[in-house]
Amino acid sequence: MIRLQNVTKTYKRGGDDEVVALDDVSIDVDKGEFVFVVGPSGSGKSTFMRLLTREQFPDEGEIWVAGKNLVSLRSWKVPMLRREIGYVFQDFKLLPNKTVYENVAFAMEVIGKSRREIERRVPEVLELVGLEGKAQALPHELSGGQQQRVSVARAFVNNPRILLCDEPTGNLDPTTSVGIMKLLDRINRTGATVVMATHDQHIVDSMRRRVIELENGHVVRDQSRGVYGYAG
Amino acid sequence: MRWIYVLTEALKGLRRNLMMTVAVILSVTVSLTLLGASLLLSEQVELATDDWVGQVEVSIFLCDGRTCPEITEEQREQLETDLEEHQVVEEVFYESKQEAYDRFVELFSDQPNLIESVDADVLPASFRVRLQNPQLFAVIADEFAAYPGVEEIVDQRQVLDQFLRFTNVIRNAALIVAVIQLVAAGVLIANTIRVAAFARREQTSIMKLVGASNWYIRLPFVMEGVFAGVLGALVSWGLLWASVPRVAAQLRQEIELMPFIGASEVIAIGPLLLASGAGIAALASVLALRRFLDV
Ligand SMILES: Nc1ncnc2c1ncn2[C@@H]1O[C@H](COP(=O)(O)OP(=O)(O)O)[C@@H](O)[C@H]1O
Ligand SMILES: [Mg+2]
Repeated sequence: MIRLQNVTKTYKRGGDDEVVALDDVSIDVDKGEFVFVVGPSGSGKSTFMRLLTREQFPDEGEIWVAGKNLVSLRSWKVPMLRREIGYVFQDFKLLPNKTVYENVAFAMEVIGKSRREIERRVPEVLELVGLEGKAQALPHELSGGQQQRVSVARAFVNNPRILLCDEPTGNLDPTTSVGIMKLLDRINRTGATVVMATHDQHIVDSMRRRVIELENGHVVRDQSRGVYGYAG
Repeated sequence: MRWIYVLTEALKGLRRNLMMTVAVILSVTVSLTLLGASLLLSEQVELATDDWVGQVEVSIFLCDGRTCPEITEEQREQLETDLEEHQVVEEVFYESKQEAYDRFVELFSDQPNLIESVDADVLPASFRVRLQNPQLFAVIADEFAAYPGVEEIVDQRQVLDQFLRFTNVIRNAALIVAVIQLVAAGVLIANTIRVAAFARREQTSIMKLVGASNWYIRLPFVMEGVFAGVLGALVSWGLLWASVPRVAAQLRQEIELMPFIGASEVIAIGPLLLASGAGIAALASVLALRRFLDV
């Protein structure tokens, strides 16, 4: 489902100053997997995610996502790639002047889904994330955990094959985080591949899923059923 | 593509940016009014020169017995042969009194009063002459002025030149200012669209992320620019429509014997004004968005 082969990504920082965000990274993620990407801040987790949506372009290496070669993918086909991927951010990125229902429906509207389909699908997804009663609320009327559920609903509403979550619990307290993790787990069980960047040790340890650890742009560990750090 | 979405987004954008929108519409109006005015002036010149004197550079009017003894058949044939054989003459044709009157009637068909006031007999017959080199008028004037039966030799180009020089200066000035204004309007539109896109960057980034196509993201902004451009074009069309026929009517009273354009010519340039307004706005919007909204 996701394959990176010897991928290097550097950022230019004015003048000759360069930052190597990912250095010769190779990663394979199968269909239906649940993967944690862990590592300290600045280790390259977000860069890895942004490469998968073609927000960033690699300097070297090959990337395949959902059967598409991202290096040779024509830019007009990028929207089609992104319809295969749901994206959840640490800061939710909800539209403040739209209701919960409208925020979720927006993701369907802008890719041209019919009104009938939207009216059928949005309530279904709101129910999945446990917000069926909040459809008409505005984002600022919700708690952080509820806002993150809306953002998960929006990411999932178009039935993506891949869900990318960049520190989705970064702004949430531990109990709320557990709720979000249960939700992501449920989505994973519907068959979606989930990749989640985090540095929340408790969550990683409690889930016991595959863990890929990055450090300074290198993969330093790739372990199935792993924990956040080596014990001892 | 959901057109309702595109249109409502574009209208929302225009309302949100009301001051900018007014500035854009005004600047498009000014530039297109000037553009339209210079186009109409060109048409006026064409109308006047085409029908007024046509390709003819020299008119040799013949005596009809009122101010000088009427030209005889023989004299006329002699004159025609000499003209045709003359080195500097390219083409000669004869216009009888009746033909002169017919042309006059046709030319001023929209001014029945003028036609009525002119007797069919008044207009003189003439030889209308085209020269190999228009500067050689003096040669013709010298040689044929003394011919019996010739009443007057007129250098039509001289009459025309003064008129043309004057209108060309005005038209070119209007055209230059129009183009500068149009560029300024384009820059203003591009800037407005950039501001609008920046104001909605959150929404736009989410659209990109969920896989909205580039055109779906851009079209509301482009439509926003095009709306303003079309509105400006409509206003300039209205201004020209309200003013040009009036000015023409005024001039018609002062300059007799010259045809003037009217409302129908103004109406005819409407589509061109609309296309220019919409075109410059679309171009400016697309250019403004090219870098900003790329995937
Ligand atoms: N857009 C950018 N421009 C320049 N440098 C960047 C950019 N994004 C990330 N970086 C740098 O790349 C490195 C990896 O960043 P990132 O992928 O965001 O790591 P993480 O998500 O693990 O914190 C960091 O040193 C960061 O400063
Ligand atoms: Mg990050």
